[in-house]
Amino acid sequence: MTDSTVKIVVVYQSLLGIYGDQGNAKVLHKRLAWRGIDSEVAFVEPGEALPADGAVYLLGGGEDNAQTTAVRELKKDGSLFTALDAGAVLFAVCAGYQICGHTFTIGENDEVREGLGLLDVTTRRGTRRAVGEILTRWTKPDGTTSLITGFENHGGFTTLGPDAAPLAQVEVGVGNADDGTEGAVQGRVIGTYPHGPVLARNPELADHVLSLALGRDLEPLPGPQAEHDGLRAERIAFVRR
Amino acid sequence: MVGDAAALASRVMGKGSGASIRGQLLTRIDPDAFAELVKGRRIVAVSGTNGKTTSTHFVAAALRQALGRDAARLVHNADGANLHYGIASALAKARKADLAVLETDERVVADLLEHGRPEVLVLLNFSRDQLDRNHEIKFLGRDWRNALERAGASGPVVIANADDPLVTWAAEKARKVIWVDTATTWNADAAMCPACGAMLTRAGASGAWDCPDCDLTRHPADYAVEGAAIRLPDGRLVEPRLNVPGSFNVANAAMALAATAELGVDADTALIGFRTVKAPAGRFSIGTFGDTRARLILSKNPAGWAESLPLLATDPCVLMIDSVAADGKDVSWLWDVEFEQLRGKHVVASGPRAYDLAVRLTYAEVEHEVIVDLDAALKSVAGKADPVDVIATYTPFQKLLKTAGLR
Repeated sequence: MTDSTVKIVVVYQSLLGIYGDQGNAKVLHKRLAWRGIDSEVAFVEPGEALPADGAVYLLGGGEDNAQTTAVRELKKDGSLFTALDAGAVLFAVCAGYQICGHTFTIGENDEVREGLGLLDVTTRRGTRRAVGEILTRWTKPDGTTSLITGFENHGGFTTLGPDAAPLAQVEVGVGNADDGTEGAVQGRVIGTYPHGPVLARNPELADHVLSLALGRDLEPLPGPQAEHDGLRAERIAFVRR
Repeated sequence: MVGDAAALASRVMGKGSGASIRGQLLTRIDPDAFAELVKGRRIVAVSGTNGKTTSTHFVAAALRQALGRDAARLVHNADGANLHYGIASALAKARKADLAVLETDERVVADLLEHGRPEVLVLLNFSRDQLDRNHEIKFLGRDWRNALERAGASGPVVIANADDPLVTWAAEKARKVIWVDTATTWNADAAMCPACGAMLTRAGASGAWDCPDCDLTRHPADYAVEGAAIRLPDGRLVEPRLNVPGSFNVANAAMALAATAELGVDADTALIGFRTVKAPAGRFSIGTFGDTRARLILSKNPAGWAESLPLLATDPCVLMIDSVAADGKDVSWLWDVEFEQLRGKHVVASGPRAYDLAVRLTYAEVEHEVIVDLDAALKSVAGKADPVDVIATYTPFQKLLKTAGLR
């Protein structure tokens, strides 16, 4: 490891990792390695000190009680906030997305819990559980659009405040549920519902996260693209039929 | 403890033979049939996420061994149909069988406890499975716990996996528990205390776990898996020498030994029975597909794949993934399984979700090709290994059994 090694931090995999979301770290790590860029993946569990020098922090999906524990531990630790102030990227999926907001609810009695306050969103229990394939249209920084394919499984509906912008528009599925939007972006914090894991099914989104973290564009990766194209074509056709 | 077959037969004969379970023959299974059919029999039930079918086959084989020529008194839903209908269907075909060994889906345990009053309930493990349907496995654990509490003094003796915190929490409401140290290695689905939500602490690889905030803790084991052997309560170490592979099946055998001991079957007799189990409901069976012979391994969830991948002995090997309801619609779990261990082999990715697997294998840097069609995938490996190892999720596994005439 050198000073230039890119650190990818998987935050509390044992709490927020029940839907394969650690795959997002594998994808980021390999897409850097295939470009000759050194990176390391750090798995940090509650009770362990979170590194403050990560380039990308990843949060995944999990159960209600795990969300509460994760918020408590992250606030106690503090390093995630330090790292974000220093320019790190946070990519949060599903339950991890929800805890980035101001509040979310847990349980059948809708107990309101404080989130991390990193995204101007609030989440409450929805009228139905959103379970199934989701397809959204993401407008990339250059103004062009790309489809995001994934599998959503959440009971919460999310409302965006003025400081957060949606990540994408829903074509098939539920997403944030109120207004046809999916996910939220605020500065260098990205929240989204789809698993898949989402970065494995959407390599352009993976490279966008890496570009944000490195502060520069990355050249395309033709090698694994054929495999991604096969998967995306199959999933997009499945969800549209 | 009753050892020989005749003694067991006479003991078992004592209650529930014939009369109480006689009823009018059903031409079809009506909704109340389950409750009626499970009444009046002596029942050993087996539940949990993984290992139900094989463990149930172990228990049934041991009881048959002990019953000898009275083995017809035993009924067993051997095909793995473990929901209300499957159980009722098996029982309806054996109205005079007074001894039932029932593989029981996790969601059916509470109903079976209420209506069937099993004598012995084996609780193997809990891990995430089909999350598109069972959003939180803790709900299932709570269901078991409440049902055991309601059953109270008339409830079963529970054979419980001491390594599993959620099983432990559920089993603590049973009137009597036999604890088994199963040497479980998969604990990715048991980070938090099911009782209070605190983070569990774990002592290295020993399986010992504890809740720092409440009373829940690992119980001292009555039976223990030690490598390929099983330590009995009397201190004796027995070698199961099973005819099904995998360390997880030694754990299943330990659970089954504890269960059959409750019915008076001695360990040596039980083990003779266990060794007759070779392809429970088609698992580990060898099928012929044109010019290809294949050993068929079923895996349904990340814990199951973690156990079965090390069994892959051939190069090439074939992995088949589907995602209809019976498989779980979300295949994200592919990323929680260490496919990296297959580096150096050629993997044929097959089934409707072969492309998901192909992307996973790309990132694991495992050499592979995609052949979505199951038959074509098997044809492609003809002559390259005999038999070639195949791991499949539920739906393709059932298709292979059917194609090979194994069911």
